[in-house]
Amino acid sequence: MYKLLLILKYLRKRRIAWVSLAAVMLCTTMVLVVISVMGGWLRMFRDSYHAVSGDVIIQGTMLGFPHYEEMIRRIQALPDVKAAAPVIRSFGLVNIANQKRLGLQVFGYPPNIGQVNGFADSLFRMKGANEVSFGLIPERRYYSPPGFDPRGKDPNTWDGMIVGTGVIGLRKDREGNIINRHTDTIYNAFVVLTVMPMSPDRTSFDIADKTLRFYWIVDDSRTKLFPYDSNTVYVPFAALQKDLLMDARGGEPARTNEVQIALKAGADLHAAMGKIRQIAFEVTAQRGHDERFSYEVKTWEQTHGDFLAAVEHEKVLVTFLFGIISVVAIFLIFCIFYMIVVEKTRDIGVIKSVGATSSGVAGVFLGYGLAIGIVGSGLGLLAGWLIVDNINWLHEQLGKTMGIEVWKPEFYVFDSIPNTMNPREVAVIVIIAIVSSILGALVPAIRAARMHPAEAIRWE
Amino acid sequence: MQDTAKTPTPLATRAILRASGLRKTFKMGESSLEILKHVDLVVRSGEFLAIEGRSGSGKSTLMYLLGALDLADSGSIEYDGQDFSHMSSAERSRLRNRHFGFVFQFYHLLPELNVLENTLLAPMIELSWLRFHARKAELRARAADVLAQLGMGHRMKHRPRQLSGGERQRVAIARALMNSPHVLFADEPTGNLDSETGRQIMDVLEKLHQNHGQTILMVTHDRTLASDADRVLLLTDGRLVGEIK
Repeated sequence: MYKLLLILKYLRKRRIAWVSLAAVMLCTTMVLVVISVMGGWLRMFRDSYHAVSGDVIIQGTMLGFPHYEEMIRRIQALPDVKAAAPVIRSFGLVNIANQKRLGLQVFGYPPNIGQVNGFADSLFRMKGANEVSFGLIPERRYYSPPGFDPRGKDPNTWDGMIVGTGVIGLRKDREGNIINRHTDTIYNAFVVLTVMPMSPDRTSFDIADKTLRFYWIVDDSRTKLFPYDSNTVYVPFAALQKDLLMDARGGEPARTNEVQIALKAGADLHAAMGKIRQIAFEVTAQRGHDERFSYEVKTWEQTHGDFLAAVEHEKVLVTFLFGIISVVAIFLIFCIFYMIVVEKTRDIGVIKSVGATSSGVAGVFLGYGLAIGIVGSGLGLLAGWLIVDNINWLHEQLGKTMGIEVWKPEFYVFDSIPNTMNPREVAVIVIIAIVSSILGALVPAIRAARMHPAEAIRWE
Repeated sequence: MQDTAKTPTPLATRAILRASGLRKTFKMGESSLEILKHVDLVVRSGEFLAIEGRSGSGKSTLMYLLGALDLADSGSIEYDGQDFSHMSSAERSRLRNRHFGFVFQFYHLLPELNVLENTLLAPMIELSWLRFHARKAELRARAADVLAQLGMGHRMKHRPRQLSGGERQRVAIARALMNSPHVLFADEPTGNLDSETGRQIMDVLEKLHQNHGQTILMVTHDRTLASDADRVLLLTDGRLVGEIK
């Protein structure tokens, strides 16, 4: 009983120990924020790139590869496969309403792309749709813009295009909601897309065969990946395939440069990849292998493996460095507690004279260290949560007041700083903080325990 | 206070503490100093024994040995027939908690605790959190009673820094009495007080002895104070050289 009373009294009244408490709190906050941002960045990266890739990818070159329809048919028959879809990745020149002219990535997606990856979840109008439609918005009537030559094509027969939110300059608030989404303005915007197919000998892009196609913007996509949201437009697969001369023509089969495959929940990723690879190779072998149209079969992790590994290593390194800094807190607690024990020598002698055992006295100071750890890590958790939860707002204020932009989306891929805490990581950090605090108090507690009561009472 | 009948000072009867051939040496750097040289001593139940000696004579050291706060280099000390030297540290701690009480020259109250909490220190050490809370009302009532009898009932919420020297010593006495000790050890209990306050403290000790039969072992350099005891032993240069009274 006396131990608890003394611990609580010391915690409230020994102000020098509040320095230890502040040290534990600051170290906990620091490590929590770092791990949350780095860990959140890694998680977001994994989740987001997984969302735009599917689970397994058959990836070819810009020239693409043929016989993908047969590959898809056989792959979709596998019990672990949920769906498969061809994708064309290319680039093009984009003229948006004669106001923006950009060189961007161009993706050709089929309607069932939402069954394969998370593209449908990134959309505004068609969020979560099973079938992504590139059709014009039904209730709208489209008119050719004044002074614009549609080259004989009725504007109401143009295809729809989906654009990344950054491409058309949509801005977000702290919660990530678009704040300048003016529906009429966006869906009135026409886009002229110019693409160039690759020459048959794969040595150059065929400028002579460039294709110009007109689109209306029918939706916008926010994947939260900067390279996608600011540099990508999405068009119908069939249209892009035709414009790139990758459709079936002159006896040559149709080509795509990617097939994305989604697996059913619980499927073994690597086992499924093996089966898919086998099917792809079998189809190629049966139809005749053409070296021009090479491809690889990878999991989504392997596709982004180098970058994922680099981010993971960076997270470990940064955590380690901040962990070393936190060791300083242990020494600070040690110094402060040692000082307190020396100062309390006579009190320790008195407590022992009244019958406290050595282990009991040690328990007072270990318990004191535990209390410092619990309160300090609790306050650190609160401060860390407040910082992490509001980190994007804080970053915004930093930019406004001091002109500092720490998080640049083009470098860090995501348009906002990760701001969620992983409960497991939080628990580990808090436990380590508490254990560290006890460790710091350990030697002083042993010293207190070993004090001879008679000598302690006489101490001056 | 002890729950014994309030009778005049009983005649010293059985030995409660028996010390034989005590020796104690302190190391001081490269040399050593023999503080106690073959001390034999008996403390009887119910008696007020004073050990008088000059500063440096070893009287505090002797008291600490008898109170199980320290161990002799040689010799033996028996409390109620049990030899200290065969006890573990934890057993000696339990002995001090349940059977001994200490009053020091400089009071040694814990500054973070108030008067009531300081007084309750012995039962708080003895009892677990659960058992203390089960008996909390009873223990608080007893502490309040002890403090009231010592004239400190109205200062229970005060901290030591808010008390005078005499008041602090009264609280120290209350703390020492909480577990009804068989022996109350007092080391120069008036050494840090003015003569009037010191006299008041001595009156308290005398009342404890006369009205409650408390066994008291007091060490002092002051013969006037020592004369209040039933028996006075003279300690000179680490030896008991005689019984003055």
